[in-house]
Amino acid sequence: MMETLFYLAAVIALSATILALTRANAAHALIYLILSLLAVAVLFFLMGAPFAAALEILIYAGAIMVLFVFVIMMLNLGKSGEELERSGLHARNWIIPGIMATLLFVELMYAVEQTSSLTSGTAVSPKEVGLELFGPYVLAVELASMLLLAGLVGAYHLGRRFIVRSGSDD
Amino acid sequence: MNAADFYSLAPLLILAGGATILMLQIAFRRDIKLTSALTVATLVAAAFSIIGADDNVPRFVTPLLRADHLALVFSGLFCLAAAVTSILSIDYLRQRGDEPEEFFLLLILSTLGACVLAYAAHLASLLLGLELMSISLYALIAYPDKTKLPLEAAIKYLVLSGAATATMLFGFALLYGTTGTMQFAAMGDQLVDAHAGSAVLLVAAVMVVSGLGFKLSLVPFHMWTPDVYDGAPAPVTGFLASVSKAAVFVALLRWFLASDLFRFDILIDSISLLAIFSMLAGNILALLQSNIKRMLAYSSIAHMGYLVIILVVGSNMDNRALAIEAGMYYLIAYTVTTIAAFGLLTLLSSEGHHRENVQLHDVSGLFWHQPLYASLMMVALLSLAGIPLTAGFIAKFYLISAAVSDFRWVLLGSLVVGSGIGIYYYLRVIFYMTRKVEEHNNNPVAPGGWLVKAVSCALIASILLLGTVPQPLMEYLRSILQVVN
Repeated sequence: MMETLFYLAAVIALSATILALTRANAAHALIYLILSLLAVAVLFFLMGAPFAAALEILIYAGAIMVLFVFVIMMLNLGKSGEELERSGLHARNWIIPGIMATLLFVELMYAVEQTSSLTSGTAVSPKEVGLELFGPYVLAVELASMLLLAGLVGAYHLGRRFIVRSGSDD
Repeated sequence: MNAADFYSLAPLLILAGGATILMLQIAFRRDIKLTSALTVATLVAAAFSIIGADDNVPRFVTPLLRADHLALVFSGLFCLAAAVTSILSIDYLRQRGDEPEEFFLLLILSTLGACVLAYAAHLASLLLGLELMSISLYALIAYPDKTKLPLEAAIKYLVLSGAATATMLFGFALLYGTTGTMQFAAMGDQLVDAHAGSAVLLVAAVMVVSGLGFKLSLVPFHMWTPDVYDGAPAPVTGFLASVSKAAVFVALLRWFLASDLFRFDILIDSISLLAIFSMLAGNILALLQSNIKRMLAYSSIAHMGYLVIILVVGSNMDNRALAIEAGMYYLIAYTVTTIAAFGLLTLLSSEGHHRENVQLHDVSGLFWHQPLYASLMMVALLSLAGIPLTAGFIAKFYLISAAVSDFRWVLLGSLVVGSGIGIYYYLRVIFYMTRKVEEHNNNPVAPGGWLVKAVSCALIASILLLGTVPQPLMEYLRSILQVVN
């Protein structure tokens, strides 16, 4: 049974990604991308990595995608943006993602309810992940923090010209 | 982790601490003099900390890093190269960009990434080091953001390098899936066990080789190199061409040594194919360039081709020690020489407004009014061409003797043909530099205080010293190799 769930989620992930790549409308593509990430999260959960699944949803489907949505909303200002929002309410635009998301949700509920929801291997709890990360791999965490610093400083420098400074304008 | 672990990681700790201090300093007060002084101090301190760390190696520091003499030597080299880059780029940055301070912060972070690569003993640290180095480089390439060319170069590098990293990461995942380990030392034997007809391993190898081949810009993964080198600011190009290439190669070398990847014939054969393509294509394409940066970009492709020969030669156990020694010598010589060559381009462009003076006619007659800087360029180019008395000659000689002792005639032939073509385009720049004063119209005036002059003299001296008195370094490399093996 769990195997079937796994393959169902995999099919959803693949088809959602293909749909995301082929949509001409950025907002629609984004919805499919979020679905694809959710499906991957379900895959992680079924393979015994609930922590990775939670992170996938929180960080990728949550935080990063919200940023994308913000950017697209800001790019689509004006009349065309309004029409776009109206067109988003058509049933043909949300029915397929809706079905996919419902399927994933039902899958997840079913898997959570089972005592053993594994398709392979052993489950790794968040506590074990934490112990590994701050035990043998603590230097990797430190290096990743330096990596983020580099990204942050670079993004600040390159995005700086778009920042409107108070005082310099008036 | 105990005290000895910390000592053996001294360069990394000093660089990370320096980056933090620099960040705070920039936040409180913007002052390029103070920032650059702090940067150079940090980098030099990190470079000299390898002397103190010497007694505490070799050892594994967590499963991720392996501190040994190889790691220390190359960390020191990368830190010194970054220090030279930052000294030479001060005037360049003053002319461009209104907030030049973060440049130095990014440079330190990139150097940290390069040093992590020199220490790498695990796929995770390889990836983290690579990304730390590359992400800082994306921002460094686009740093002078008033013109379009650097931005274009940065976007190209970002997209292509991101794709290469993703490919490599997928390869890592497949490797982990088949071997069950990410540590280089444990991976080798697992690979042999899993080797029998495993298509997954083949795919993994192709993905990893293409990812690393991109970072080393081996043909056919080289398409980005000329555009990115041309668009990037000259000091960054020098860093990109020398330190980032050398760091990736050191990590690759460590992986080969620790997992003994030399025993997989398909891998060795495909690498020798890449080497032949890179040597020939790089040199032939360099012939056609009138832009010195593009020419050096193609020549760096060729040099990486020469360098990977040692991985092929190392597959024979008898010649492995010689091959690795030759490779290390070549890396050191190449890094010093490339930093010197791009150093001159940086100085030439320091007085320019937005355009960089990197065309052949820009250096015309340089020898007559800037003899010191012209000598720097001349020595660097002669060394790249492999003319006797320079570092490049000894390095190439070393490489050829390694290839001869392993009877790799095809590789050797490509090396000789490639070097022959190379002499033409290197000497052409020197020819332009020694033209009479009347023959050129524009007059690039390189600035530079006593520090820049001192660094130029030191670079010339080190290239000549490596070329005339190579024994001490050779002896040292030989002695540390015995420990590494």
